[in-house]
Amino acid sequence: MRAVLASVVDGKALLQVIWVSIAAGIGVTVVFAVGLVGATRAVDLSRDGHRVEAALFAALAVAATAAVLLAVVFAIVVMTDK
Amino acid sequence: MDADLIVVIVVATALAFDFTNGFHDTANVVATSISTRAMAPQIAVGYAAALNFVGAFISLEVAATIAKDVVVVRAGDPEFLLVVFGGLVGAIAWNLITWYFALPSSSSHALIGGVVGAAFASQGADAVKGDGVLGKVMVPALVAPTLAFVVGGLSILIIYRIVGRLRPGPVTRGFRGGQVVSGGLLALAHGTNDAQKTMGVIALALVANGTLSAASPDPPTWVIVSAATAIALGTYVGGWRIIRTMGSRIHKMDSAQGFAAQGAGAAVILASSHVGFPLSTTHTISGAVIGSGAAKRLSAVRWGLAGNIVAAWVLTLPAAAVIGGVTYSITRLFGTGAVGPVVMSVLILAGSAALFARRAQQASPVGAGA
Repeated sequence: MRAVLASVVDGKALLQVIWVSIAAGIGVTVVFAVGLVGATRAVDLSRDGHRVEAALFAALAVAATAAVLLAVVFAIVVMTDK
Repeated sequence: MDADLIVVIVVATALAFDFTNGFHDTANVVATSISTRAMAPQIAVGYAAALNFVGAFISLEVAATIAKDVVVVRAGDPEFLLVVFGGLVGAIAWNLITWYFALPSSSSHALIGGVVGAAFASQGADAVKGDGVLGKVMVPALVAPTLAFVVGGLSILIIYRIVGRLRPGPVTRGFRGGQVVSGGLLALAHGTNDAQKTMGVIALALVANGTLSAASPDPPTWVIVSAATAIALGTYVGGWRIIRTMGSRIHKMDSAQGFAAQGAGAAVILASSHVGFPLSTTHTISGAVIGSGAAKRLSAVRWGLAGNIVAAWVLTLPAAAVIGGVTYSITRLFGTGAVGPVVMSVLILAGSAALFARRAQQASPVGAGA
């Protein structure tokens, strides 16, 4: 059975689907969550008058949002490239 | 002349299937966004329809798999047109039956099952490319939902760890915003993978008619545009019954779970489309939805309903194959001319109308705001 599967399944493509799905699926959601932490903490710290820390968290939020958008654009470019 | 008429009927049937595919699979794309109130229902459906349309243009790998790797194509053989027709009718019939019972089964597997069943009824086992069906359909069919389950589950566990101590209000609003992006990506992925299956089937019909070469059956532009339009229209009309099943009956989702499920689903579908696996978007997003629920709390998932979805999943390929085979055999009774497809088209239209009427009588109203 294993030999049959090995002969008909494109193992390389299947492995590619698995690692890309895990990396993109988990990676993007985690980066987005980190961005959310940055945005929320920036608002809270700014309200409490901690401007420097607030700016750092805001920068984290912007960087995370940019990374998520870049990942989306990259995914579309890779899809259309083939 | 007869062959041309059959091609017209087959293309129209394929586009009708594409419409039902969009109609049936709208739930996959928009249910999580609607149930977490990330988007208003009509806006979510319109947004998904637009991105389904765009998604249909970004790749042809899946269309190539359907056109080359599932059944042995008999170029220039009008009888093969009846095989394609039988397969399409099998898929439409199964889609309508599962829609009637509100089960999110796979349109893709219904289509592949229908074509395989019709080819088998026509020429026996030799007509089916077992390697292609096993390697490019069956194995990805098992891997994709499992992968989406794992990715959706791990994502939500990590998300809860990261945002767990934040105030819930901004977090909920933030993830609702994120769902606009992840839902859009999922709609794009759906258009890419599912519209291509119809393009692949129309390409099969055009090869059988001698219009396209069997060696490079890339669908022409009019096929791409019409398939994209049909799936987008179907998505816009929407299948509200299945939206309810996907959106709230499996488990009650929060916006973080919706985001994780959509992200996981989109990642798996786009990666699979890139390598040409015609997988089921329904099963993939179902896996992600169940994974994001089970990771939070196992008892949050209605496992009975999840079991029904799995049962529909297992049944889809063989059931659509049987309907496809029977349809081909009945159509063939009328010869290889256009009479058989015309008669079967009338029958399937009448059957669809009866199902819709019966459902309209029975169903409690499920409005746009449900």
